[in-house]
Amino acid sequence: MDKSTIVCRCEEINVDEIEGAIRLGASTFDDIKRLTRCGMGPCQSKICMNLVRELIATNLGVSISEIPPPRMRMPLKITRLGILAGKTSSSNVVSVFDEASLEAGERQND
Amino acid sequence: MTDQYDIVIIGCGVIGSSIAYHLSEYKQKRILVIDKGFPLSGTSGSTQAWVWVHNKVPSWYGELSMYSAELYPFLERKIGDVEYKRTGGIAPFFAQTDWDKALRLAEEQAEVGIKVEVLTRDQVLEKEPALSPKIAGATYSDMDGNVNPFRLVELYIKAAKRNEVEFSFYNPVTEMVMEKDHYKIYTKNKKDAITTERVILAGGPWSKEIGELLGLDIPVKQVRGQVIITEPLAPFLKHTIGGMRQAENGEVLIGFSKEEVGYDRRTTMDVIQETAQMAINYIPSLAKANIVRSFSGVRVIPEDGFPILGKIPDKKNAYIAAMHSGVTLSPLVGTLMAELVMVGETSICLKRYSLKRFMNYA
Repeated sequence: MDKSTIVCRCEEINVDEIEGAIRLGASTFDDIKRLTRCGMGPCQSKICMNLVRELIATNLGVSISEIPPPRMRMPLKITRLGILAGKTSSSNVVSVFDEASLEAGERQND
Repeated sequence: MTDQYDIVIIGCGVIGSSIAYHLSEYKQKRILVIDKGFPLSGTSGSTQAWVWVHNKVPSWYGELSMYSAELYPFLERKIGDVEYKRTGGIAPFFAQTDWDKALRLAEEQAEVGIKVEVLTRDQVLEKEPALSPKIAGATYSDMDGNVNPFRLVELYIKAAKRNEVEFSFYNPVTEMVMEKDHYKIYTKNKKDAITTERVILAGGPWSKEIGELLGLDIPVKQVRGQVIITEPLAPFLKHTIGGMRQAENGEVLIGFSKEEVGYDRRTTMDVIQETAQMAINYIPSLAKANIVRSFSGVRVIPEDGFPILGKIPDKKNAYIAAMHSGVTLSPLVGTLMAELVMVGETSICLKRYSLKRFMNYA
């Protein structure tokens, strides 16, 4: 990886920016997240998590096992606000009957 | 890090770092800021960061918020772009009975020069078309806005560092001893004591624990606030709404909850669902927006709701700054505390905010 390699695709944060935060004293993923927004995008650090942990480990000279993962935030997966409010039925909840009708070629949504 | 300082500030949130920066402008003192964690890992990093003036009551408290909001553009010229935007603030209400309350607020705030307008539904919708047509009206002030708290604290620290302030993170204070003309401060990561002539407590929600090290009872409560965040949306909210705002990158931050659960920073499904409901009540089209994450923060509220600012009574050379709305008040509090420490008097009288008010009837 060179300095300009993108680590966080969602927020377009590169290696240089991560290392800048580490130079400021950041030593966990969450420290870096708050300074750079790395991991705050739609994927919620699923892509950048281990890349960043590796960078911290290398820069601070510690084992990657000592770098805790970022704090996971509800709802973990992108969710419609209307569904959270309870006004719309969730497309993620599928009953066995729906499964059966899907097999019969019916469309579940819309 | 040496062992001797003129001033030690405990807490590096939006208040502690602001005090450090403003003190460093005098370029006279050796200053150290100590924090138990890393900047933005506490309250200052878990806020919607409104710079909110218009319904801070009584008006003398609103006045403090107004002066602070007025300092933001000036601050930005000194420390850099903190993404401060004076968007104007709208606080919608749904019941016709709230009209009287709104008019009283406008009247009271006018006394100190805060211009609050009471808008009818049509006037509000003209300003902010995305709002629900079900609202009855709103109070509005063009003083209100918001800021990026991450940029704010980072730039305070960087500016202070340029003025040779030292910082020590991940280093909780474990003991404080007051000696004749100085304080000895013991921390987790340092064997020897740090000695300092003056100490400033800026621990936010953790003020109570820090105060106890000096044998003080700091009357503050911890209050949890939960916030949900949408994916970036095309700009559609022009104003800061009482309850939500759209950030520069398009994300909408929504939340207005208060729970007294100590330092518990979990998000809970019931509050998140109510928050989602509030969002839809305010802005129906948000039902289709995607939520990326939620977070919660522990805020501090002094027992009577108003800032605790100034010298600590009966303790020589010790000061405290603890308050709710730290983001709004940060530039002003930094300025005033620096004046108090360096000059001995402040350009705005802080008597009303003294810790003493709690001690009288203790």
